[in-house]
Amino acid sequence: MRTKILVVLLLMLALVITGCSSSTSSNQDDSDKIVLKFLHKWPQPQYAPYFEEVVKEFESQNPGIKIKMEAIADEPIKDKLRVILGGSEVPDIMFSWSGEFARKFVRADAALDLTPYLEEDAAWKNSFIPASLQPFSSDGKNYGIPLRFNGKFFVYNKEIFDKHGLQAPKTWDEFLVVLDTLKEEGETPLMLGNESPWAAIHYLTGLNQKMVNQEVRMNDYNPRSGEFTDSGYVKAMEMLAELNEKGYFMDNVNSSSHDMVKQMFFAGKGAIFYVELEEFQDVENALKGNWGFFPMPSIADGNGSQKYITGAPDGFIVSSKTKHPKEAVEFLKFLTSKENSLKLVKDIGWPSPIEGATNPDTALKQVAEGVDYMKEAEGMAEWLDTDVHAKVADVYLSNIQLLLDGSKSPEEIIKEVQAVAKQVQNEVE
Amino acid sequence: MKETYQNGRTAFLFILPALLLILFIVFLPIVLNLYNSFFRWNSFEAGKTFVGFEYYVRLFKDPVFFTALKNNSLYAIISLICQVGGGMIIAAILEDKLIRRFQPFFRTVFFIPSVISIAVVGLMWQLIYNPEIGLVNGVLNAIGQSEWAHSWLGDSKTAIYAVVAVSQWQYTGYMTMLFLIAMQKIPMEYYEAAMIDGASKINSFFHITLPQIKEMILVGSVITVIGAFKVFDEVYVMTFGGPGRSTEVLGTMLYRSAFRNDEMGYASTIGTIIFIITLILSLIQMKLGKSGQEVE
Repeated sequence: MRTKILVVLLLMLALVITGCSSSTSSNQDDSDKIVLKFLHKWPQPQYAPYFEEVVKEFESQNPGIKIKMEAIADEPIKDKLRVILGGSEVPDIMFSWSGEFARKFVRADAALDLTPYLEEDAAWKNSFIPASLQPFSSDGKNYGIPLRFNGKFFVYNKEIFDKHGLQAPKTWDEFLVVLDTLKEEGETPLMLGNESPWAAIHYLTGLNQKMVNQEVRMNDYNPRSGEFTDSGYVKAMEMLAELNEKGYFMDNVNSSSHDMVKQMFFAGKGAIFYVELEEFQDVENALKGNWGFFPMPSIADGNGSQKYITGAPDGFIVSSKTKHPKEAVEFLKFLTSKENSLKLVKDIGWPSPIEGATNPDTALKQVAEGVDYMKEAEGMAEWLDTDVHAKVADVYLSNIQLLLDGSKSPEEIIKEVQAVAKQVQNEVE
Repeated sequence: MKETYQNGRTAFLFILPALLLILFIVFLPIVLNLYNSFFRWNSFEAGKTFVGFEYYVRLFKDPVFFTALKNNSLYAIISLICQVGGGMIIAAILEDKLIRRFQPFFRTVFFIPSVISIAVVGLMWQLIYNPEIGLVNGVLNAIGQSEWAHSWLGDSKTAIYAVVAVSQWQYTGYMTMLFLIAMQKIPMEYYEAAMIDGASKINSFFHITLPQIKEMILVGSVITVIGAFKVFDEVYVMTFGGPGRSTEVLGTMLYRSAFRNDEMGYASTIGTIIFIITLILSLIQMKLGKSGQEVE
């Protein structure tokens, strides 16, 4: 009886051992290699191959390093990053938005200071458009390397604009006239899919920046000193609400998704749509040159700089727990090399933060023009939902839908923002 | 004497694995969760700050908490009426002699929604509710009731009802199945006797079926009510608590605090409250039904 049990136990043990070893033995030759874990957010079939190719190329150039790549989509990565960073298996290189989103990892000592590596290799540092490195810095130190340089622009359907003899507006008043004309003529002036509320937050990102004095705004966006008492914040929300009250936005903004609205815009069902530079390629594919774009128009009585562009870079941070910081930086250098940046622009049409990579030869004419806008801008208004503390962002995000369905007023919302900003001040050391 | 002692030890050895499992998987996390709710901490930062009852105080001042409680209660009440009440009536009709022949067909059809993954159901209903291309508004327009057409999930007044309705669609069939099983165990003789005495079908439902499936009604109610307070995925997939906070339930509120706002302590506090609510509910229901006495 005992021996029988012993045999069964031994068999089970054998099963477990073989089960484990089979997975390790298959990549035996990797055992002496340095393994870097790389986490990005583009599992989509149109983008993933770019990363696979670059990783493969890097591995063949650096036979001593193996890259373990993983991709998690845009929404889930916001949660996943926080959980992963708390665990023991932290990726060496991981995606992050710039601004406060990255800064909270810096505050938690989870992100490695990359300044020495950038200082060491001046050529690498100087290859970036300066405005693209800045949003990834905290207290004068660089914590992230940008991969894309994204801006937000109004794209318009040229056919509809020509039909009514309209031109791209330069000021907010002109913008309102254009919208009014379109409305009068029976068109849908503005397309917006606000089911995920970041879409309307992107409007508010630019409006806040243009309405509020830069220094005041930066002070408010800093979790340690945020108060949000400037009247510009209320005005910014009033302006957004006005677009809705006057019927310039399409119907049912809160229950339409951005992607669905994009398809409707491509089908010619609306005149103007607020999109990111990275989406320009899709617009071109659908409208075939029959479109134009303009940045958020300047506002005459705004207290902020009118020469800012809404947008921000996104890219990668290196874990402070990594055992191979040198190799990780090596990989980031490879990823942002001129050659791979040109490939990025060409293959997937994303705007690169590398000086000269996004030019009319490699990129779509409009993408290159968009990057020029950002280079000439005085600065970037970073996404409101990643530039302020997560709790403040959450108040803005959930209330903006209510602002648009008319159930909350700008004054009510700013009161909530102020309350939560105060709470955050007490909590952030 | 010695023998009983030894038996006791053997018995203890036998329940030990189960006991350990329950201790580590059920009780330890509950205690840890309570402990964690007294600290300010997040998942990626080392170190915790003791805050005492701060989060509990804040929770009871948080208007979102009351919205969530209200939504969970709505969930529970509507689910009780539709899933337990409706499921029972459907089961009784399917058990009727006239329809019994078709019972396997209807049973399967009603049961299918509950085996579809929540993510699929959520996305599908999002499309059905879509104001432009959705089925609901399409039908309303087709029957000439365009003024009823509505942005179902996009309006903070209707969104929670739209989400609750999906749950009813999905789980009423499951409850029907449970009731069918219970009803099939009732001896036919009771009904025959009642028929001979001239009882109507309604009468025999109230005087034979109902008392005989009392236990199942209780079990069903416990499942639905507790489920209603733990609901998360339907809301997460369809609205994520929006528009605004109008469809927030305790589950999504917890998730938002933990993984969006980086307040694990607050999330633990909400978790503790969910635990207390479900504990009280199940105690009440067990007491009311004196569960266990009538099974078999």
